[in-house]
Amino acid sequence: MPITILQPSLAPPPKLRNVDSDSDSEGGADLEGDVAMGRPAKRARTQDSSIMTPGEIITDDPQWMRGHGTYIIPGASSNTILSSVAGTLAKTNKLLSVRPLRARYTPEIGDLVVGRIVEVQAKRWRVDVGGTLLAQLPLSAINLPGGIQRRRTETDELQIRTFFSEGELLVAEVQQLYNDGAAVLHTRSLKYGKLRNGVFMSVTGTGGGGGVVRARRQAFTLDISGTDEVSGSEKIDVLLGVNGYIWISKHIEGEGAAAETSGPGITRIEESVGLNVYSSQNDIIPVDTMREIARVRGVITALVENGLRVDEEMVIKGYAEAVEMAKEERDSADTLWLGGERGKRLANALVGR
Amino acid sequence: MSSTSQHLLLSPAELAYLHGSLSLITPGPIRPDGRSPTQFRPLTAETGILPGTNGSARICFADGTEAVVGVKAEVEKTPLSPYEFVASTEGRKDHTQKKSGSRKSKKATGDEEDISMDVDEEAAGANDKIRGSPDWVELSVEIPGLRDDDSGTVFLTSMLTEALLADGEFVKKLWINRRFHWKLYLDIILISPPLSYPLPLLSLTTHLALLATRLPRLKSEADEDPMFDDDWAAATFLYPRQDTSAKASNKSSKPSSAAAAPASRPPITLLVMAVGDNIIFDPSKEELAVADSAVAVSVAEGPASESESEPEPESIPATTTKRNLQLLSVRTIDPPSRLTPPGVPNSVNAAAWGTMTAATPTTTTAATASATEGGAAKHPDARVTETEDVVGVWKAPRGGAKFGMLGAMVAKVLEREAASPRSQGAG
Repeated sequence: MPITILQPSLAPPPKLRNVDSDSDSEGGADLEGDVAMGRPAKRARTQDSSIMTPGEIITDDPQWMRGHGTYIIPGASSNTILSSVAGTLAKTNKLLSVRPLRARYTPEIGDLVVGRIVEVQAKRWRVDVGGTLLAQLPLSAINLPGGIQRRRTETDELQIRTFFSEGELLVAEVQQLYNDGAAVLHTRSLKYGKLRNGVFMSVTGTGGGGGVVRARRQAFTLDISGTDEVSGSEKIDVLLGVNGYIWISKHIEGEGAAAETSGPGITRIEESVGLNVYSSQNDIIPVDTMREIARVRGVITALVENGLRVDEEMVIKGYAEAVEMAKEERDSADTLWLGGERGKRLANALVGR
Repeated sequence: MSSTSQHLLLSPAELAYLHGSLSLITPGPIRPDGRSPTQFRPLTAETGILPGTNGSARICFADGTEAVVGVKAEVEKTPLSPYEFVASTEGRKDHTQKKSGSRKSKKATGDEEDISMDVDEEAAGANDKIRGSPDWVELSVEIPGLRDDDSGTVFLTSMLTEALLADGEFVKKLWINRRFHWKLYLDIILISPPLSYPLPLLSLTTHLALLATRLPRLKSEADEDPMFDDDWAAATFLYPRQDTSAKASNKSSKPSSAAAAPASRPPITLLVMAVGDNIIFDPSKEELAVADSAVAVSVAEGPASESESEPEPESIPATTTKRNLQLLSVRTIDPPSRLTPPGVPNSVNAAAWGTMTAATPTTTTAATASATEGGAAKHPDARVTETEDVVGVWKAPRGGAKFGMLGAMVAKVLEREAASPRSQGAG
């Protein structure tokens, strides 16, 4: 049935968002016990779990320092700290900052990101990584096919589009940051390169709210042979870019960012590069794999829609749960659909509500 | 034809994968979001959000696109043509002949006809006095980031207008008396950036707003200057709600809610696309990017009665003969898939599979063994791949929609619509 109508429901009560303790309390004084803060500070403390709106006065006590997401009106009473974004208040010692609920990705060196080429220039590509500025990928930061690290010649510059052209997706690592926050990427590893054999989706990246969080592993392989319908031992690669761009694809042995790092050594890598790093032709993908890829995508969508974080653990657990759900209701045809009520059920099962 | 070309960049590998998964035959298409081929995106809807309008609605799709529609009405004087009285006798004859099919059905169901305007008794006797003009409806569409005279916006406007005016029944609802009529202004505003082709969203929101539209109750009689009831509570719906008792058969198990189902409904335009042999409803932007063809189909539901002169497709199941669906218009939409860049097969890809150096006379050491075999341009597969499909390589569809596919899509829309209970104005 294409349309089902649900009874309108009241908005859920605002969730109490407990501010992460890792960055707040490291070496800091316990704010709860700090009684010498006076009235404005008290006000700031009570608002910990609520949402600050842009322009809202956080405090006018001169003892506080202004951090990210806040500003001071120059001139006037310059003690007043106001919020410049919508988000939750975080305190580090005497530093006040507001963590935005939603923000664009702010790159950091070493981040694994998924990006899309939006512009090809003479010696570099401009890559959309979901940040405020486009990242750049210099021609000198990719492994050219041919096996050996060779000089970049003019010929390479001329055929720059054969490596990456507009619209193509790639996985890369942030190598360097400019002062304005723009990132420089590199793909100098067998793990990085052009993406194929799968689907792309974008969720909120690190920097605000739910979505992808920085984790130990951003890329992992899901075993889908757990579902009884799947024959053989197909696997799915899930690539959670720190910037919130996600790539879900068929796993190919020895390829992709999820490949074992214990593979060929750094010298051997250079030799084996160039097989299909720059291919844009998909392999033949079994129908079962396609279905499971769609299921994983549904799981991630459900996680995001229900405000849960997206990382390896949650995706694996969520996928197992989704497979269970599909098994329970084998008869109904739309077992892949994980939106709306089904998504809520999945999220509830995950957090044990 | 209009184009849906927004700047949606997709890589050839993504397009090839999407096309492959959507054109699967055996288990049916696998959509990236897991929906079934005929499933719509979930949405939240509310009506009556703008107190200053006669009717308004807001719909928010799960993908974040949101639209608001406000309907405003004002009384306008109908310019009386000098031929009016002459035409009232003889002109009516051809008019009657032209529209005999619909007229007949109207008279047959005269009791539940009850047009929203309180048509005075004399006029009700001669129903054909009621007429309308397409000028009585003014529709404007606003898409953020696009100019008013942008071809996309203009096309959306004309498509929605066309659906409203197609059967000529809608404007008749705006008739007050011979000298006055309502002029309806529909303001359709997309609040979010156009993340996906906004036609289904705008059409749904307009549908809902028109369902919620109320006009003040007329107190005056016949052709005198219109006087209206001040009481907004007494205002009548533009699409009159049916008696719950009369509709008991159609109402299923639902308790008689405050909002009884309207007898007829405003038109609705659905976006349907075809990939391979699969027909897919309400495509998202990624899906539309690999469509072989896309069609906007407008349907309306008349009062449940015996069939009109419109030929009904046989595919409609017998259980749903109650619903009187009319096909209003079919428009092909130019899918953005035609503008996508093609993928490069490995056989001619200079940068893949080790043949890369072959194509280029590089001076480096890499150009050794493969260079002797000849360049990629001379590769035996090179010519084949230019003309023929290679599995796993994206190629933009060429040519228009097939006639058989168009017919199948339209039939499917009528079938699905007939089978589905249309949503009512949600709180």
